[in-house]
Amino acid sequence: MPELPELNPVIHGKLRLALLSLLVGVDEAEFTWLRSKTGSTDGNLGAQLLKLEEAGYVAVDKQFVQRKPQTIYRMTDAGRIALTEYVQALKQLLGGAMGR
Amino acid sequence: MTAGNEELELKDRLSLIETMIAEGRRTTESYGWTFVLWGVAYYVAIFWAALGHDYLAWPITMTVAGVLTAVIIARKRSKNPATRTSRAIGSIWYAMGISMFVLLFSLGFSERAEPHTFIAIMAAMLATANAASSMILRWKLQFTCALVWWALCVYACFGKSNQLTIDNPLTIAFLAALFFCQILFGIYGMILEARRCRMAANHA
Repeated sequence: MPELPELNPVIHGKLRLALLSLLVGVDEAEFTWLRSKTGSTDGNLGAQLLKLEEAGYVAVDKQFVQRKPQTIYRMTDAGRIALTEYVQALKQLLGGAMGR
Repeated sequence: MTAGNEELELKDRLSLIETMIAEGRRTTESYGWTFVLWGVAYYVAIFWAALGHDYLAWPITMTVAGVLTAVIIARKRSKNPATRTSRAIGSIWYAMGISMFVLLFSLGFSERAEPHTFIAIMAAMLATANAASSMILRWKLQFTCALVWWALCVYACFGKSNQLTIDNPLTIAFLAALFFCQILFGIYGMILEARRCRMAANHA
């Protein structure tokens, strides 16, 4: 029987998974857009994005637009690969669970 | 955790991924207004030129419309992230706008802008941009607009006149194409976009 894969713990967190799934469909996104889509608080969102940034899955860029600070996030290639691997592992696990 | 709970949690994660990807791609961007703005700009330029100021009418109207479009898009862009589809469609229209600006201004300043050639070029370029956008969006109505522009392009290649007067059949055909493919199409696009925004708000 083939060994079932481990799920990446950095991605497995619900909010972090939601953030990566949002970022995979857009070029880049502002902090406030991510907040509105996830309905998360500033503190929690910032903490989870920091974890993704430390893992190298998202890149952050801070800029000023019309004198207002903006924090822009975009998914890195490593993030894209990690999310793909996570989905594959998830499907494999679900396939295993269905077979039980 | 029991096997049943574990399976439910895994399914929940998979469903979360699908929902968020769809949410990220759901765009609330609106571009119908650009068709209306440019349709009105062309009308202003044509009627202003008909008053006998064609050396001023086209450069001024087109520049003002271009600046207005760029400013409004920049303001809207900060609220919505760009998707790959919107970037692809935007690139087509930017490239077409630059080509039209460079070519028509050069023809104008070199005094080679014969009205029939002028309209044939504009119609061909608008047809190309509309057709490419409609193929990306799989939107038959926009492809119909492309067909109208191609038909006008062919029509403009025949006949000869030195002035684009209001009673010239080519001017009337151009005004009709502008009305249907820019103003009416733009208003219809704005209605669809408003409906989509309301659905997105209800969904949120």
